[in-house]
Amino acid sequence: MRVRRAILPWLLLFPLAGFVARPAAASGLAFVMNSDSASISVIDMTTLKELRRIPVLRQPHHVVLSPDGKSILVGDTVGNQLLFIDPHTGVVQKRLPCADPYQLGFSPNGRFLVVNGLARNQVDVYDAATMQLIKRFPAKTMPSHLAYAPDSGRVFVSLQGTDRLMAIDLHDMKVLWSKHVGSTPAGVLWHDGKLLVADMGTDYLAEVDPADGRVLRHIVTGKGAHNLFMGPGGKTIWVDNRVAGTTEVLDAATLQPLRVYHIPGGPDDLAFASDGKVWITRRWAEKVAVLDPATGDYATIDVGRSPHGIWLNQPAPVTLKIALGLAR
Amino acid sequence: MPDPFDLAAGWLQGHLLVPLLYRLDMMDWEDISYGWAVFAMYGAFQVVLTFAVCLPLERWRPVERWPDRKAVLVDVLYTVLSRVGVLPVFTFVLFYQAQVSLNGWLADQGIIPPTLESLFPFLLGRQVLTFCIYAIILDFADYWRHRVSHMLRWWWALHSLHHAQRQMTFWSDDRNHILDDIIAFVWFGAIALLIGVPPLQFPLLVLVLRFVESLSHANVRLSFGALGDRLLISPRFHRAHHGVLAAGQRSCNYGAVLPWWDMLFRTADFSREYVRTGDPSGEEALHTGSYFQQQWAGLRRFGRAVRPRGARRAVS
Repeated sequence: MRVRRAILPWLLLFPLAGFVARPAAASGLAFVMNSDSASISVIDMTTLKELRRIPVLRQPHHVVLSPDGKSILVGDTVGNQLLFIDPHTGVVQKRLPCADPYQLGFSPNGRFLVVNGLARNQVDVYDAATMQLIKRFPAKTMPSHLAYAPDSGRVFVSLQGTDRLMAIDLHDMKVLWSKHVGSTPAGVLWHDGKLLVADMGTDYLAEVDPADGRVLRHIVTGKGAHNLFMGPGGKTIWVDNRVAGTTEVLDAATLQPLRVYHIPGGPDDLAFASDGKVWITRRWAEKVAVLDPATGDYATIDVGRSPHGIWLNQPAPVTLKIALGLAR
Repeated sequence: MPDPFDLAAGWLQGHLLVPLLYRLDMMDWEDISYGWAVFAMYGAFQVVLTFAVCLPLERWRPVERWPDRKAVLVDVLYTVLSRVGVLPVFTFVLFYQAQVSLNGWLADQGIIPPTLESLFPFLLGRQVLTFCIYAIILDFADYWRHRVSHMLRWWWALHSLHHAQRQMTFWSDDRNHILDDIIAFVWFGAIALLIGVPPLQFPLLVLVLRFVESLSHANVRLSFGALGDRLLISPRFHRAHHGVLAAGQRSCNYGAVLPWWDMLFRTADFSREYVRTGDPSGEEALHTGSYFQQQWAGLRRFGRAVRPRGARRAVS
């Protein structure tokens, strides 16, 4: 039991929870949220064929693995539902009412589930065990992405409409600060004791001090820097540049660019597969790119309209340190 | 295989809209712009398809021949504005926001707003069937909106702009006063919120329905036969609604796509042949004015209609 308690927090990491908690009998499925087709594409990761589509009420955007690894949670924003789906089979387990669940993530200690309501300008903090709403924070405007501090004490939410980053204290349940960090901030990543924020209205990441929200410096990537992810091994950071149509790899230690891949069609979320490939949703192309980082070539898979979140049940193995951006 | 309209919308989004939004520092509109791009692509195709089908039909068997078609040109502008222009953005943004706010509030109360799919779970994933049911409900709602717009004096003052066209063609479907459009939007928005219509899920089927509506206005001698006319509204059936003797409260055949509601509520008239169209009670600007002249004339008529009875008499 003690071992399980010790391991549990390591399994609850967002946004890279999928890389940490690997289902024992992974069947090699990729789940792609077709946000404007009201469906989730289920793809065989070996054949790269779409097997079927799970119908969703309205608009699925993001996805996260539950702390116990038994479900993936999909937020259906316009449908106001959280769907719980079996990560091995794709069977819908249950649907819970939830107001405008856009981006969502469990805290590293597994205690909280934070749900951003982008259209309703709110950040909801749920008790992850009971799914009871603990507190709702008004968040003007357009709360989109989020990242936790490694100790689960704070969550940082980007506010796209007002160019801000907001810090919420999860112990006292209060807003610590809300600061301008650039233009249309989107993806947020905890990295080396700092925060990296992708400023979609610019061509750079803002490095932000998590203590007070000060912008420390800018790291130029590409036009429309939208989302960023820690790579497997913890030595790289991957940035999707929406306007430039590129995916850029940075050295995690120096934040210097290593390589740029041309991924047209609005690259958005990405996920790292156990075979080393990188799966990237292309919002306006109705496709997923499966990139071979070694060659730069990518295969494409047709999916539904406006594919957004993606989750693989055969992800690349990642330790907590790497997922949190602590590895150097 | 991706939908070609979506790919075209994606191209528009990636090559034109997003770079423009980036330049204008408006990247928070990026999702909305994609929704508009999808609507605009389908709207543009609607216009092209309608043109390609209806124009040959109008040339082949016209009901009327006119020495010049200048009065038709303004209807082309109405169509483009309505189907490709800013109206879809306005509709999309407002409807989306209203739907999110209302349904989100209900979700806070632990209620998932009813939708056809939640009431009848077997519909989940059966998008064509679901859409057909949504379409029937909305067509029923539109029948009553249209009928009431003829019954109320102030509303008819606005709606008469649609009926003023003496050279009715397939372009005339979108010829509406902007206030009439807004009322229709609120009407549909309310119904759609109640039944949870997801507008972006069915663009192709919306395209088909809009095509039927455009065709029903075409200047063509075309009927679908005794049975067909009772299943789908034909140009012959709808022309009776636009007849000079049917303007205002005396009208018939109010349906947009399905004639069933007219049959059910006894407003169907299958007997009328290809009648002259127009509204003799309207001023000339409503018939042949420019876009803005028509809008202004409609507003004036609306003003007269809402004025108290005594004041109306004093003026006249």
